[in-house]
Amino acid sequence: MAALAPILATQFLSKHFGGLTAVDAVSLEVVQGEIRAIIGPNGAGKTTLVGMICGRHMPSSGRIVYEGRDITRLRPWERLALGIVYTFQVTSIFKGLSCYENVALPAQRGLMRGFAARLVPGEAAVAGRVHTALEAVGLGGFEDQRAEALAYGHQRLLEIAMALAAEPRLLILDEPTQGLAEGEIAALCELVRRIAGQATVLIIEHNMQVVLELAQRVTVMDAGAILAEGTPAEVERHPEVQRAYLGR
Amino acid sequence: MSAGRKVLALHLGVLAVLFVLQFALPAYHHTNVARIMVLAAYAIGYNILLGYTGLMSLGHAMFFAAGMYGAGLPVYYFGVGAPAAFGIGLASGLALAFVFGLMALRTAGPSFLIVSMMFGQAFFLATLYFNDFTLGDQGFIVSDKLAPLRLGGASLGFHEPAVKYNLALAIFSACLMAALALRLSAVGRVLIGIRENEERTRLLGYDSFRYKLVALAVSGTFSAAAGAAYALLFSYVGSTFAAILFSIYPLLWVLLGGVGTILGPLLGTALMFYLVDTVSGFTSSYLLFVGAALIALILWFPQGILGTVRTRWLPWLP
Repeated sequence: MAALAPILATQFLSKHFGGLTAVDAVSLEVVQGEIRAIIGPNGAGKTTLVGMICGRHMPSSGRIVYEGRDITRLRPWERLALGIVYTFQVTSIFKGLSCYENVALPAQRGLMRGFAARLVPGEAAVAGRVHTALEAVGLGGFEDQRAEALAYGHQRLLEIAMALAAEPRLLILDEPTQGLAEGEIAALCELVRRIAGQATVLIIEHNMQVVLELAQRVTVMDAGAILAEGTPAEVERHPEVQRAYLGR
Repeated sequence: MSAGRKVLALHLGVLAVLFVLQFALPAYHHTNVARIMVLAAYAIGYNILLGYTGLMSLGHAMFFAAGMYGAGLPVYYFGVGAPAAFGIGLASGLALAFVFGLMALRTAGPSFLIVSMMFGQAFFLATLYFNDFTLGDQGFIVSDKLAPLRLGGASLGFHEPAVKYNLALAIFSACLMAALALRLSAVGRVLIGIRENEERTRLLGYDSFRYKLVALAVSGTFSAAAGAAYALLFSYVGSTFAAILFSIYPLLWVLLGGVGTILGPLLGTALMFYLVDTVSGFTSSYLLFVGAALIALILWFPQGILGTVRTRWLPWLP
């Protein structure tokens, strides 16, 4: 795996909020096509780290290199255009809009080139993308349903459909299984595995079962820094991990 | 009938009714409806910002007044013709909205409200401060300097009711259909995304600042179009149209008719106009009734009339 070029590399990436160091000089490499899990206790800096990768937060110091290009200073929408797509830990859908409209917003993004296309979205093409994304997560037929009327598990899936419609090359999933029932978790794992056929996946996850099942490599964070990194089996055996994270 | 056709048929139908109405209305209401259409164009502009982008402004009178002075002053001082004056009015509103947006859109929510109000007040006070030039406190009349409009061989004087009515209708129609087109466009979808959840929209690939600036520029231009038309059609230009009350009016009209609906501004403007008109017949404290109507509205129809209609009966209403 070391021979493959990384799609994403952070170099000594740090983020301070006032006196608090949320992320402390994290250097992380993610290889093209892998499913990488980031685990760690609450407050370890996982969400802040991926927030810097997708552009939600500007780093205090360090660099982010994506597909060989320095993206440290790029704005979030510029990163999305490069294929970096983030799904929120707390479901962040447009509750007052239909599922169709929720997914249509990211779906039309790639079609809006030139003045005319901004006025006339080419609704047939948008509709095709929306349909594909909703079908992919198993929400086909929910197009006219208002997002807030969906069950919680379906809202999580809608969030992922929105990300898929944006055509990710690097998909960041922030605790996608949080609050899901067991059957839903299994279906989600299956979905993530299918997505990984086309995109690199960076997944923050608390559920160790999911991590062991999905990830090729696992990065363990604690107190803003990387504590350990390796295959799921290696990480599971790591004494520091057992102490700090698994609580053994 | 598909949703798209229904929407088009409804809006063209409303315009057709407004066209036919001029042959049926008595003189008094004929002028009123012409006035309502111009003011409704202003409300449509306001609603693009409030209803479709989620930004509440209390300074929109400056855009209306920029159109009004932009059109009125060149006529008054240089005898510029109506079409050119209208164009200058539009350009004034557009330029003002753009520059204002570059500064004010760094804020959002209540801060945007306050900043817009401050700019609006500054504009209002400027129309009084430069009184020698603007004739702000007294106002001025443009009709005696305004050459009639020439269309082919015909000469159309602005004092003629039919000319007033049909020009008002033309400007209202243009604003209504442009607002509908914007709402149904790819840009309109982004604006609604910003209204619902700005951070999410940014992370879905849209530079929200640019889109808000576009919305503000369109909103300001529509407001200026209404202001310019008001000056040319109803002849009077004065500072009262730049005052805070004239920033509050479009907010009331839109809240009454339905925030974020295309036809709501027309309905709200018409109802409020006739409420004030009727109440003024027997008391001078008509604002009391306007206030009471608003309280009732907020209590029972917080989405406004057409907003409620959309929620209950017509989900396809744009």
